[in-house]
Amino acid sequence: MMNRIISSKLVDSMCVISSRRLSFAQSAVNTVQKQKELIKSRELEKDELRPLYMDFQATTPMDPRVLDAMLPYQVNYYGNPHSRTHAYGWESETAMEKARKQVADLIGADPREIVFTSGATESNNMSIKGVARFYKAKKNHIITTQTEHKCVLDSCRILEAEGFEVTYLPVKNNGLIDLKQLQERISPHTSLVSIMTVNNEIGVKQPIEEIGHLCRSKNVFFHTDAAQAVGKIPINVNDWKVDLMSISGHKIYGPKGVGALYVRRRPRVRIEPLQNGGGQERGLRSGTVPTPLVVGFGAACEIAQQELEYDHKRVTVLANRLVQKIMSEIPDVVMNGDPEQRYPGCINLSFAYVEGESLLMALKDVALSSGSACTSASLEPSYVLRAIGADEDLAHSSIRFGIGRFTTEEEVDYTVEKCIQQVKRLREMSPLWEMVQEGIDLKSIKWTQH
Amino acid sequence: MAASAAVRSAVGLTQRFVRVSPDCSICPLYRLNACTGATDGFTAPNRRLRTSIGVCQTEDSSSPEEHERVVNVVFIDRSGQRTRVQARVGENALQLAHRHGVDLEGACEASLACSTCHVYVSSEHYEKLPEPEEREDDMLDMAPMLQENSRLGCQIILTPELDGMELTLPKVTRNFYVDGHVPKPH
Repeated sequence: MMNRIISSKLVDSMCVISSRRLSFAQSAVNTVQKQKELIKSRELEKDELRPLYMDFQATTPMDPRVLDAMLPYQVNYYGNPHSRTHAYGWESETAMEKARKQVADLIGADPREIVFTSGATESNNMSIKGVARFYKAKKNHIITTQTEHKCVLDSCRILEAEGFEVTYLPVKNNGLIDLKQLQERISPHTSLVSIMTVNNEIGVKQPIEEIGHLCRSKNVFFHTDAAQAVGKIPINVNDWKVDLMSISGHKIYGPKGVGALYVRRRPRVRIEPLQNGGGQERGLRSGTVPTPLVVGFGAACEIAQQELEYDHKRVTVLANRLVQKIMSEIPDVVMNGDPEQRYPGCINLSFAYVEGESLLMALKDVALSSGSACTSASLEPSYVLRAIGADEDLAHSSIRFGIGRFTTEEEVDYTVEKCIQQVKRLREMSPLWEMVQEGIDLKSIKWTQH
Repeated sequence: MAASAAVRSAVGLTQRFVRVSPDCSICPLYRLNACTGATDGFTAPNRRLRTSIGVCQTEDSSSPEEHERVVNVVFIDRSGQRTRVQARVGENALQLAHRHGVDLEGACEASLACSTCHVYVSSEHYEKLPEPEEREDDMLDMAPMLQENSRLGCQIILTPELDGMELTLPKVTRNFYVDGHVPKPH
């Protein structure tokens, strides 16, 4: 209403200006109005239906049983677990130690080997920087891969600036590392190898057991970022010979803001702590342990352990359903990552001749994520897809579907239907698709700049 | 130490007594309901307290050979001052430090319950030391400013092959004496 008054006043005041200038002012006002409408449409209206959630790799909803476990520790048993002198402290400490055991049982560790942190990012920082700096007198080489999570890669970059030598191993086209290459790169100066268990963008599962045995034989510490794998595939740190493992709370239906780091005691792994203070958590991570969060984390781990097999079977069925339906209806769809060595709940598909962002916009009522880094400021496609050798145009058109414990068959069917419909529509509009139908080889075209 | 020695000598006395007149009623163990019921002769129950103090010798049990087996050790304290000391074989480094006035804190008196006697061992001698047991590793975890050549001083038992060892005191211990206060040995 106000806008109309202002715009009409503006138009009136512009009467004396020439007609060309008048229309310009009019269009400027219209643009402002349109922008306001666009901004409104980004947030959901009060009674509007929420989109389907198909982005379980980004985060997961908290399981209601986890919330049940946490609530008493928020308002009733609120003591500091490090208070040794009264019952509030004792009951908090008991709860914290119980949660520690629940986390340890999920990965086959001893409870004394678990250190609670604020999340997998902190665990990754602690383990990489901590091991590197502790052993830097004799060993200054670190090996990691090109498809790691950003926190691992950034920690390695910072260490490089400090004077360490870092090798970023390339991956094969299916996303897995070459074990021979790893073996060749390990030297007597290597202190740490860091390779993630399940990739968060393409879902490939690395051969952790073989890597662990290799590292143990060469006396090198092995760290794995298992944030996407814990609670989803069976893990045993002793069978796999893992020395350090990062775990995230909010990827296994637990609370956000909590995670853990597994630090092996035999043979002992020493870490230079990042956070100093009163010596809590074995001196490795000082600070009051947040009892409600760790209780929730522990409950989430226990639930995950009990329901692991069932969830895995269900997710596999739903994932196969999704992939088969899409691939049978539309041609030229590529699945990124090895088809066998993967976690089924993370599916990254590239739809050729369709732009990823426009497909996401079209699938407005399903919450999905794109493989290309639309979340980052740059327009560069994701470094993971580049590492597996995806063409740049395919990298721009990839979508990641995440399936989890609470995904229903109807949600998958709806997503598939919508996806097929929108891809067909966008392809009809695409000039590249037209050219391909006519039989032109796109790679032979020389594009000119305007 | 003296108390346990007294008990041992008292039981020995009883042992000799009992062989003369085997009557349970006079035995202190029977009176304390601690008799194990060994009938054949009289065997004293073996209840030795397991501490690292038990490993070392007492002041009075010095035999001539051991005085000759001396180990030279250098302590480098927080200000960089070097102190050459002579140690007896079988002594632990914490005791040695206290005997010579080097201010190595030993809050729990060598019972593996703290990390205040944390020292850095010179690299050539670090390999000669036996592997730390799990409890020592656990306590070492709590020590600030750990390095690869860190050990607990109370667990370093001196042997002749450790001659020439240099023990450097770290700048800080778990106790926050930022004002420079150093606690006296107990």
